[in-house]
Amino acid sequence: MGLRLLATAGVISCWTLAAQTPAASDSPFAGSNGCRPCHPAQALQFFRNPHFKTTVANGATRENMGCEACHGAGKKHIAAAGGRVTIPNAFSLMQPNQVLDACLRCHSKDVNRANIRRSSHTQANVVCTSCHSIHQPGSARNLLAAKQADVCYGCHSDVRAQFSQPFKHRVNEGFMTCSDCHNPHGVNSGVSKTGHRPRMVETGLQNEQPCMKCHTDKRGPFLFEHAAVRVDGCESCHSPHGSTNARLLKRPVVFTVCLECHNGSGSFGRQADGIPTQSASHNMADPRYRNCTTCHVRVHGSNADRRFLR
Amino acid sequence: MRALLIVLATVVAHAQPVVAPTPQTAGSPRGDNAGPYNITNSWEVGYRFRDVDGNTGKYRSDVNFGNGVRLLGGTLGVTSRDGKGKWLDELLLDVRGLGNDPYQFSSFRVQKNALYRYDLLWRSNEYFNPALPIAGGDHFLSTNRQMQDHDLTLLPQSKLKFRVGYSRNTQGGPGLWTGQWFDGRGDEYSYFANIRRNQDEYRLGGDLQIGRVKLSITRGWELFKDDTNFNRDMLTPGANTTDRNTLSLLRRDEPLHGKTPYWRAHLLAELSKQFTIHGRFTHSDGRRDFIYDEFARGTDRLGAGRNRQTLLTGAGRRPVTTGHATLTWIPNNKVTVANQTGFHQTRMEGDGKYSEINNGSAGIAFAQFQFLGIRNISNTSEASWQPVKQAGVFGSYHYAERRIRSNEQEDFEIPRGTVPIEQINRNKAGIFGARLTPVAPLRILFSAEVGRNDRPFYPTGDKNYEAYTARASWRQKKFDLSTDFKSFNNANSTSLYVHSSTGRTWGATTGFTPRANVRIDAGYNYLHLDTLTGLAYFADFELVESNRSYYVSNLHALHAGVQAQVRKKVDLYAGFVRTQDRGDGRSAAPDMQPLFTAAQVFPISYASPLARVSLQVRANLRANFGWQYYDYAEKFASAQNYAAHTGYVSVSYSF
Repeated sequence: MGLRLLATAGVISCWTLAAQTPAASDSPFAGSNGCRPCHPAQALQFFRNPHFKTTVANGATRENMGCEACHGAGKKHIAAAGGRVTIPNAFSLMQPNQVLDACLRCHSKDVNRANIRRSSHTQANVVCTSCHSIHQPGSARNLLAAKQADVCYGCHSDVRAQFSQPFKHRVNEGFMTCSDCHNPHGVNSGVSKTGHRPRMVETGLQNEQPCMKCHTDKRGPFLFEHAAVRVDGCESCHSPHGSTNARLLKRPVVFTVCLECHNGSGSFGRQADGIPTQSASHNMADPRYRNCTTCHVRVHGSNADRRFLR
Repeated sequence: MRALLIVLATVVAHAQPVVAPTPQTAGSPRGDNAGPYNITNSWEVGYRFRDVDGNTGKYRSDVNFGNGVRLLGGTLGVTSRDGKGKWLDELLLDVRGLGNDPYQFSSFRVQKNALYRYDLLWRSNEYFNPALPIAGGDHFLSTNRQMQDHDLTLLPQSKLKFRVGYSRNTQGGPGLWTGQWFDGRGDEYSYFANIRRNQDEYRLGGDLQIGRVKLSITRGWELFKDDTNFNRDMLTPGANTTDRNTLSLLRRDEPLHGKTPYWRAHLLAELSKQFTIHGRFTHSDGRRDFIYDEFARGTDRLGAGRNRQTLLTGAGRRPVTTGHATLTWIPNNKVTVANQTGFHQTRMEGDGKYSEINNGSAGIAFAQFQFLGIRNISNTSEASWQPVKQAGVFGSYHYAERRIRSNEQEDFEIPRGTVPIEQINRNKAGIFGARLTPVAPLRILFSAEVGRNDRPFYPTGDKNYEAYTARASWRQKKFDLSTDFKSFNNANSTSLYVHSSTGRTWGATTGFTPRANVRIDAGYNYLHLDTLTGLAYFADFELVESNRSYYVSNLHALHAGVQAQVRKKVDLYAGFVRTQDRGDGRSAAPDMQPLFTAAQVFPISYASPLARVSLQVRANLRANFGWQYYDYAEKFASAQNYAAHTGYVSVSYSF
């Protein structure tokens, strides 16, 4: 009820303001104060919004200040006493590429958005306002519409299922976020991997997979590298989101993870003559030998042994 | 207004898989004015409890919430109302789980418009993992990892800004390792590790904008130390009690210290509204120096007394250089064309001197050397066309050529003039997709990727692969429904062995808001994976080449949640999450003879219902109660099964 009264009062104020607007001014901009009477909810909370700083920036021109920086010049809208079609940039009516253009007018200067035009999200028409809510954000810091994981799960339901498994990275618990590993604004093409996939994965310190941002002991460099890790990355053996298997492995037991590659076939491997099989002393009929990492403890790389024994 | 904001906050929150902290906050979302500032805050303090029946170690590995008093959550916001605060215009603090939760988090931001912005992110994780399937549980870890990131930006809104940053990542705690001594056919022993690792990173950089050209440069230094030491001071017979191999004393120190200085530079030039050039260059120069000093004493498998001292010194080096150049052309508002060329080069090289003195031989000394070089050049061309508002198409072509050179030696002298083995891998992939919006609430997306890799690096890598994605969603204010399908097929074959992988996921989620104070969410996902891979291994000294590794996972995941607000005073939530891997449907454990004939499956179920009540006692005080149950069950064994009741009682207060 209170809101209705406020809005009604606002519309009346708009009319009054429109009537008071000096006709002599040629500028199509009305200033943010012109928006305040009809949009009190947005105006009252706008000082919390990161975009509020545009209203107090020294030397900012009117097209870069406050409401009109995003929504465009508002004098016609005020003169018409409202209506979405009179707003130059009414985001709910805009096409995805128009939304992108409007936001990138200011936000293109950040290099982590340099690939946004060619990102998978943009190709799927997932643009800024698909995830960010400027006036009703779920987080004050980056204006996401909700908690980051919930925003991402909204489309990536399979990823939500992966994070519901017993072994997982702690995203649901709040220790990590999707953007620790992914850049939703697009990334450069792959580094040591040849393929196009997985997409939107950010790189770490040495342009390796983002896993090394946290798992610093696995980064190396080592005297003896496990080449698969360096060439095609951690998901050669691990499922990074979640798994029913311990240590996020792709298989329930370790020896099949190892043997599926170490089968001596073809021209695979760093020596291009097949990845070596284990020696004849490894009797796989004996369960003792099925725990490969009991002896080969340094499978991510070793400084002491080329077979990763220590 | 306040009621509206509360309802919005309630409705936006989706099903929450962890029961605490309570999403509802105390106090007015509009805050209170204090001088030129507006302040909002809410602090939730409470007691967590748990009761575990079954394998506590596995519970701690999966969940790990314990008993005790916690600052479950807290927010503080101080904002200047006119944007002209004297020292600061905004201060934001968020905390979660402080006290003794296994997952603790704190973020802090303080900024003065146009002058500075400082961000801090601090996180702590108590990691506990007995991991029974790995080395029989002897690779146990109970470590604490703490990470902190500090970033200070000066003149954040100007065309010339400066950045300073510092990050720290520490890991410490006890662990168990395993190894073999004195004989390659001897016994395996577990030994203790006192893990002490830390990484420090310092960053210095700046951004400059001149006209339509933006330049960003960062110089950084990463310093890493691993001072983990290992020991075992008691006589035990090892895992195999039938032989006479023993280890009575082990002492090992292997300090590893290193530095990775790096440069990063970005150049973004918006030459016109239609044409943009983006360039990125990075170079890092990683190095790790190591010493490995070990003394071991015991008996070999024949019972003879043995002692061995090993000393190894050396260094690993890895310079990495990358470059990307992207051209983007937007001729009109319907077409976007982009092309990116990428270059990546990694050289990994290291050398070490190994010496060993033992009572079984006169002593061994030799040098080790390795080189692994990866150079990858890729080019991706992409285009997107939106001829009408309701429909658009996109496509891309990706080509990559990777050269791998490798040389690995153990010799009595560092080999000189050896020629590394070289291979070239080429990948070609094409993507085509379409997006449709026939009516405003309905969005449909389809994309297909077909890739061919002429020489994958390993047998389970992508070779001939196809990936399909389809997604449809219907979103309105009160009702949303989305469904998605993904399929990934890969066939990697050589003359003798074949690896094939088929993965499919299908899911549907829905949300319904019948009234402003009620929200219902539900979803179901099916994740299927089956892989078939050729194997070669020895069994009783016979080479077996006829078996396959066949892995099947059929995972069903269900979630549902209902949240409601009663008389603007009571917030209720009830939810349910269940994950079940049905394997291939069998009801008994697979026969392991012959070794890999039977499909590998790992059927489990993992369910977690939860309920929460949050009661507004006063405008600035809430009382909260929650319960969450975890039930983990493996179908073929029960050693790791557990059932756990967890919950909390808390108050949220705003001053």
